[in-house]
Amino acid sequence: MQFGIFSVGDVTPDPTTGHEPSERERIKAMVRIAQKAEEVGLDVFATGEHHNPPFVPSSPTTMLGYIAATTEKLILSTSTTLITTNDPVKIAEDYAMLQQLADGRVDLVMGRGNTGPVYPWFGQDIRNGIDLALENYALLRRLWREDVVDWEGKFRTPLKGFTATPRPLDGIPPFVWHGSIRSPEIAEQAAYYGDGFLHNHIFWPPEHTQRMVQFYRQRFAHYGHGTPEQAIVGLGGQFFMRRKSQDAVREFRPYFDNAPVYGHGPSLEDFSSQTPLTVGSPQEVIDRTLSFREYVGDYQRQSFLIDHAGLPLKTVLEQLDLLGEILPTLRAEFASRRAPGTPDAPTHASLLAASKAKIEDASVSSVSSVSSVGK
Amino acid sequence: MGTSSVVVISAGLSQPSSTRLLADKLGAAVAAGTDVELTVIELRDLAHHITNHLLTGFPTGELVSAIKAVTEADALIAVTPIFSASYSGLFKSFFDVLELGALEGKPVLIAATGGSSRHSLALEHAVRPLFSYLKAVVVPTAVYAASEDWASAGSTELSGRVGRAARQLTALMAGAGSSSTAGKSVVKDPFADVLPFGEMMRARGL
Repeated sequence: MQFGIFSVGDVTPDPTTGHEPSERERIKAMVRIAQKAEEVGLDVFATGEHHNPPFVPSSPTTMLGYIAATTEKLILSTSTTLITTNDPVKIAEDYAMLQQLADGRVDLVMGRGNTGPVYPWFGQDIRNGIDLALENYALLRRLWREDVVDWEGKFRTPLKGFTATPRPLDGIPPFVWHGSIRSPEIAEQAAYYGDGFLHNHIFWPPEHTQRMVQFYRQRFAHYGHGTPEQAIVGLGGQFFMRRKSQDAVREFRPYFDNAPVYGHGPSLEDFSSQTPLTVGSPQEVIDRTLSFREYVGDYQRQSFLIDHAGLPLKTVLEQLDLLGEILPTLRAEFASRRAPGTPDAPTHASLLAASKAKIEDASVSSVSSVSSVGK
Repeated sequence: MGTSSVVVISAGLSQPSSTRLLADKLGAAVAAGTDVELTVIELRDLAHHITNHLLTGFPTGELVSAIKAVTEADALIAVTPIFSASYSGLFKSFFDVLELGALEGKPVLIAATGGSSRHSLALEHAVRPLFSYLKAVVVPTAVYAASEDWASAGSTELSGRVGRAARQLTALMAGAGSSSTAGKSVVKDPFADVLPFGEMMRARGL
């Protein structure tokens, strides 16, 4: 099972000091957080993509490319890549380039984006969100899998004899997850292609996540990619940890109370009981995280949001130290509960091995058919 | 026709509240004319949950059962105080957090209270359009009660309107009972009719 972190990339003033980081500070902080993720033994760092203040990560592959150059094992991902408003040709090129540079340590999470004005800024209409996600992704898949593409669709200029360069590393496209909080069409899309499904998980009660994941698993099996239990599921998560539970609650409360997403609404205690937010001791974070699999089944990636709501970099790095400390326990406990036959999340190495095995299978069967002709 | 469920929504803020008083009068008048089970929802008790729902996007606590009751009701009686020439903010916020289609085809009796009769047309200019937008079927008689209506001289006139509105709601409910969709919520289960991928692409012209 993979563990990682994802960043929204918001510039939010620290409510306890009023300090608002500059864009440069925030961008560098995200890089430092990613590097630290590798240092403490995490598997994945994902950055959001936004095209409006107060967010900084508008250019994910620039940031991930820099992080790739300063890390060795970390998988670089997105949270999410806007499949609706980005040109799928540019996504194909940018992420193949990143994949080449990062030696395959790349996957993507596709999302639609829910900021209305971003669509018209990029020449689109939010009412076409699902259609854009479906059509653009269908094209993206072909650009990564076919060397020369002729294509015509509803939204983009047609392509004739187009080759996206560079080609994916070793001819293996990056693994793709699809993210959606409440649109079953996106779970259906993920299931159809046999791609992963990642639920944000952190802002809503677990029943929503459970229903979407269940639907995705059933449809994944329907399309013949394996059993429902073999579908590839990722979850978000959110915690604030201190050695003593009371210290965590006391320190995090002003950040919670003023947070852009849920601030000035429910109490920390209510929100913690209604959503996966866990503010407490390392043991509490372990126990809560282990409980997620009880309603989504054994899953492949657990990604936490830890740098938000104006938390200073120093605090975020301390959170990563604590996460690193409980990581061996999380890994061991998840492994001991996991049903046999549960797959791992695909990586470049595993996809490459599977592709080679398939080619060998094919050549073995063609040899045997030749010999049968010879009889 | 068996027992119908009628949910009475009162957005009164004070205790006791004339809005609740009017709501109870309307509820009793409807119950007198037909076999109904009345459920009264005081929005004041849900105010925090409603605000939290606006901020987080999901219902919590008692609001969950209130939304369910309203969505599944055969008819509604919705009563708001008139604030600044319109429904109260709390009243509007409650209807803002309902799922799309929750009131579609549902018979609704609208009523309001105010300090003076000068604001009675707020029912026609603000409350009725709100429910028209929500695709509810609003009874023709909207009931407004100003302070003077609670005096003995005005009470017969108020009682007359209450009775008329109640009869109109009952008639609508009886009509709704004979048709298959009216009165029943059309909140769609988003998972109920997801098209298989190929059909979905074709249906969307992709």
